[in-house]
Formats: sequence, C-alpha cells, structure tokens
Amino acid sequence: MSRRRSEGFGLLRWYPPGWRERYGEEFAALMEDTLGNRPPTRRLRLTTALTGLRERGRETGVVGDSVPPVDRARAGSLLVLCAWAAFVVAGSSFAKLSEGFGLAGPTGTASVSSGAYRSVMVVAIVACLVVAAGMAIAVPAFLRFLRGGGWPLIRRHVVRALIASGVGVSALAVLVGLAHTLTSAQRDGQLVSHPAVWYYEVAFIATMLLLAVALLLWTAAAVVTARRLDLTGTIVSAEALLAATAAAAMVLMTAATAVWWGSTASSTPWFLQGAPAGAAGSPLNIQLAATMVLMLAASILAGYGASRVARSGITFRTGPG
Amino acid sequence: MTRNRQPTGLRRSNDPPVLILTSLAAGPKHGHALAKDIEDFAGVTLGPGALYGAITRLEERGLIAPLETDDRRRPYRMTATGSAALAEVVDDMRRIADIGASRLGLIPGALA
Repeated sequence: MSRRRSEGFGLLRWYPPGWRERYGEEFAALMEDTLGNRPPTRRLRLTTALTGLRERGRETGVVGDSVPPVDRARAGSLLVLCAWAAFVVAGSSFAKLSEGFGLAGPTGTASVSSGAYRSVMVVAIVACLVVAAGMAIAVPAFLRFLRGGGWPLIRRHVVRALIASGVGVSALAVLVGLAHTLTSAQRDGQLVSHPAVWYYEVAFIATMLLLAVALLLWTAAAVVTARRLDLTGTIVSAEALLAATAAAAMVLMTAATAVWWGSTASSTPWFLQGAPAGAAGSPLNIQLAATMVLMLAASILAGYGASRVARSGITFRTGPG
Repeated sequence: MTRNRQPTGLRRSNDPPVLILTSLAAGPKHGHALAKDIEDFAGVTLGPGALYGAITRLEERGLIAPLETDDRRRPYRMTATGSAALAEVVDDMRRIADIGASRLGLIPGALA
C-alpha cells in the first residue's frame, strides 16, 4: 500500500465501521485523487475528522435523521445519561464546597441561599431516583441480552470500568487513612504550608480524578450496553420520559446552585473561602466556578439530549409495548 | 427567517446535495470528477468529507444511486426521484432569482 493510500485510509478511522465498509475504498481513492503526491493539510485532516465524527453521530442517532425515531429517542436518552455522569462529578464538587452549609449554616446566611441549597438537595434526590428508575426498567432487557450471549460484546468495557473502580476505591482507602492523621482544619485545606496537608491535597485531587475516570468508564459501558438492548416501545418511551425529567432536574440544580452562589457571596462571602465567620473573603471561588461551568455544560448536553427525544416523534406510552 | 424545508433535504443553491445533483444532471460521475465539475461551474471546493457526507445523505434518500464498477472510483447517477427533487429546487431558486432581478430592474419592463 502506497504512503498516500495509507494516509487516505488512516483518515477513515474517524468514520464508523459500517460507513467505512460501504464508502471506505472510494473515499480513500478520492483522497488520493485530491492530494496527488502532497500530504493531507491540517485543514483537510480537521474537516475529515469532523465529518467522520458527524457520521458517527448520525449512525448512533445523536444528530440527523438517518436512524428510526425510536433509535433517535434512545440516543437522546443516552446523551442525558452521559450528561448525568458529568453532573455527578460537578455535584460531588459542590457537595464538598458546601460541606457544613446544610448542617449549621454560616452565621447570617440569607434565607435565599438556604432555600437554594435545599432545592439543590431535594432535586438531586429526585434526579437520583429518576436515573435509578431508568436503570431498573432496563434490567429485564439486560438479563435477556446476557442470556442471549451478549456478555462478550460488553466484557471489555465492563472489565475496564471494574479495574478503574478498584484503583479508585483503593486510592480512597489510602486517602481516608491519610485524613485520620490530620486535624479537621487541615483537612479543610487550611495550613497548606504543612507538608502533610500538601500531600493530602494532592492525594485528594488524584483520588477524585480516579473516581471520575471510573464513573466515565461505567457510563461508557452503560451506553455500549444500552445501545445493544432489545427494548420494547413502552420501555423506550418510559426511558425518554425519565431522561427528559432528569434533564429538567439538571437545569434546575444548575440554576439553584447559581442562586446559592450569588446569595452566599453577597451575604456570607467568608463561607465560600472556608474562612471564619465575619472574616474578609472574596465571593470568587475557582473551584466553585469550575463546578458551575461543568454543571452548565452537563445541563446543555442534557437539554440537547432531551430535545432529541422530543423531536424524535415518539409518543410517551404507558401501555404494554 | 423560517422556511419550509423540502422532504428531500435540499435547500440553498450552494448546498453540497444541490451541487452534486446539478453535476449528476449532466451524467454519472465518481467522487473526484464530481468535485472538479462543481468547482468549475459553481466555484465551490468540496472537500472529501463534505462531498461524501452529502453523497451518503443523497443515497439514503434515494436521490442518487451507485453504478456497478470494478474500479475503486465508484460513479453515481441521479435517480428519477433525484431529478424531480432537483427540478423542484431549481424552479424555486429561479422564481426567487426572477423576483430579485425584477426588483433590481435587471429585467427591463418587468414589475414584481
């Protein structure tokens, strides 16, 4: 195989296997005709990568209308699940940042921030139940899939997620052991000049990253599995309805978190810095800003997923499918 | 501005699907010949990704069909459905062009 032909085939990796099977040879021939003896430009590589990814999106029902409505609804629901995984990471960060707010609350906290905080907690519980319900109603189809010999198709993804979870939980155990050697103030990030506190901070961030990777891999395994399940029309409709509810919950939680931040920043800014009550403190908190950005991104993704579900044209049925 | 999209997915005159159908109206062509022809008559350079994205959509909608060949460079032809869809979109574009030309006074004696 010539170098140019090999480059044409190399760019094909962005496209889904089915598309490559049908159009791969002629696409590579067009690349050769277009390029002659020149190497592909960066622009050509980029546009080919983007069109290849778009083709993958079309094949999975994430964009376009190439697949049947029921598959578009399923893809929309799975986008909401991916958004939920990202939201869980952001929510964990928010829970850590607002630690102690729900129990005692900083002195002088305005009722608006308390209300917003309670709203985040209540909606989070509802959203967890919705996601759990979405998983529960897919269990019979999952068991049928396993009985039908589906395990080899998902084994690689599940094993990868299990290994990542094992590493994450081990790191968490080390972190807990390390935390017991520190005082409460040190664990909260004060006295950072102390070497033990610095090690704890690094270990904390590394552990959170490992757990986030494990969550990401479980989500990937869930998506790969869900795409292969033989779901009835009723189950797809129910999943779509639950996905739309979860998406709405994410938007609500993002809005409530923004309100909490704004009202806490104006009434008790020291709380955002972990400083003693009444101390001077900036309302700006980098971790909270990053958390908000992640929440917002997850909400937008969930909103897009929910809109795919709504535009798929499926009806939300409750009868047998 | 909202506008009813046709079920064929064809829209503006510089849409890759419209350009491909216009090129195939002159006879079957493979990918590279299509790209060259489109560049010649429309001045639009379609990269391989955009070209094959549009070919995929057009084939899905039954507006074009591949021809049998042993060559890697597979030619495509326009189907009867594709011909009808192109006629419709060309008629639509001509109507708008006529109104625009008339309002600009480019057609002597014509009133919009």
